[in-house]
Amino acid sequence: MEAAAPSLLELQRALRASLVAHDDRGTSAHVVDAGMSPAERLDVYRNTFASVLTTALRLSYPAMHRLVGAEFFERAARVFIETSPPRSACLDDYGHEFPDFLSGFEPASSLAYLPDVARLEWSVNRALHAPDAEPLDAQRLVALEEAERARVSFALHPSVSLLRMDHPADLIWRAVLDEDDAALSAIDPCAGPVWLLTERLPTGVEVRRMSESAWRFTSALCEGRPLAAALDDARDFDASVVLADHLAAGRFIDFSLNKTAVNFP
Amino acid sequence: MDSLGRARDSIPAKAGVGLRFRHHQEVLESHPAAAWFEVHTENYMGGGSAPAHLDAIRRDYPLSLHGTGLSLGSVEGLDPAHLARVQNLVERIEPGLVSEHLSFSVAAGNYLADLLPLPMTEEALEIVCRNVAQVQDHLKRRILVENPSTYLQFRHSTIPEWEFLTQVAKRTGCGILCDVNNIYVSACNHGWDASEYLAALQPKAVGEIHLAGHVVRRLDGGRVLRIDDHGSRVAPEVWALYAEALARFGPVPTLIEWDTDVPPMAVLLEEAAHAAVLIEKAESGSCRALAA
Repeated sequence: MEAAAPSLLELQRALRASLVAHDDRGTSAHVVDAGMSPAERLDVYRNTFASVLTTALRLSYPAMHRLVGAEFFERAARVFIETSPPRSACLDDYGHEFPDFLSGFEPASSLAYLPDVARLEWSVNRALHAPDAEPLDAQRLVALEEAERARVSFALHPSVSLLRMDHPADLIWRAVLDEDDAALSAIDPCAGPVWLLTERLPTGVEVRRMSESAWRFTSALCEGRPLAAALDDARDFDASVVLADHLAAGRFIDFSLNKTAVNFP
Repeated sequence: MDSLGRARDSIPAKAGVGLRFRHHQEVLESHPAAAWFEVHTENYMGGGSAPAHLDAIRRDYPLSLHGTGLSLGSVEGLDPAHLARVQNLVERIEPGLVSEHLSFSVAAGNYLADLLPLPMTEEALEIVCRNVAQVQDHLKRRILVENPSTYLQFRHSTIPEWEFLTQVAKRTGCGILCDVNNIYVSACNHGWDASEYLAALQPKAVGEIHLAGHVVRRLDGGRVLRIDDHGSRVAPEVWALYAEALARFGPVPTLIEWDTDVPPMAVLLEEAAHAAVLIEKAESGSCRALAA
């Protein structure tokens, strides 16, 4: 018996199920089989779906791909793609949940540092593709009254990420991409934690280590903590040097003035 | 020449080349003699070096933006965030042509990373026309819609693809991006007559032609499926069909596409030179005689 013609909505959702969940119950009855079964025909699209997205993940996670090998990477990617298919047609944005997925991916559980390397790679990918933005002109800060300056909350350049990691993911990442086996075997994977800043410079993406105190100060600024309060929290080191470096490097693009007065102790 | 110093804006009726990342540096440094370039819209939606390179290339070459993510056939409507990203790039690049596909890629909020076939029904025709009109209103310009290669057909389809495409152009005022390789691939896969397909398209609606290589996959029992993988030179049968297309449509901007194992620029320019010879023949009217 002929299946009743589906609505376009039913058919498009059914094709989604065929591609994402390999479930052809809603599609096969509607596909002309002439010489090839509906499943064989749907496989052509399933293959493209899986290979395009696996390639997108491999491009965003190149060190991960080398670290675990192509076969393991593909296995992890296939499971991830099924559970987290993309929400946007912009594939540069695809895969930000991959590090969290790896934390719970049983076959990877013996490599405790793997999710940290993945998080670092995502910050690099984000830095590569983040929108362009003009750096903040420091003269605008100079022009403020001192009381106003205390209330400044900075807006971060979209390419900048701050990461705190239990494992030295930066060393692992660099050694893997450089294919430097000697450096890789010299790394103590437990020699953490590390405090990192990832950003896009005109010359490319940089990952740099920071001291814990500089990182905490920067992190407070990134979260919008008013300048005076953040400086006050960081009295144990010269935070103004760190601030000057951020401004010179163009890591802030704007600021607003917090309404609430800052309480000094 | 406009205020930005751009020498050429519209896409000439010549043979251009699909530009991929591996050739950015070469194009910027050695200015190969390509008549024009086309890029994938979705590859330039962020910031950083890729769109900066494109800005620089745009100063020296006519440029066309070819999208794969708008999902013109989605019954659930266009993704406004994606349409806004396309609009931003169109405003930044001011391309000579903007094109998309007669297919869908988004369902239930998921991007399905392929150009999926639509049922050729009145309902789908209305949806595609609605979405194309929305894109054109939003971008304030005409777009071209490309026929995809397909590997399956739906039982409840009632309209031949060539009629469907013609109707979309007629109802929305959009142009047609006639992918000659896709016509050949789909015609072989479904037993259509490729010449009949070409003959059904209105010459004045055809704004661009695509050419690419495809792969012949041999299945058990001697069965064959042609797959449009853009990974080789244009097949001889597709060149012949292209000559037929030029005879019908006259000289049309023509693009060489290559996406899998992208070869050196010289190979792409050789393919473009071959297309250029056929365009010249079409200009002198001799193509009509060759195709007959």
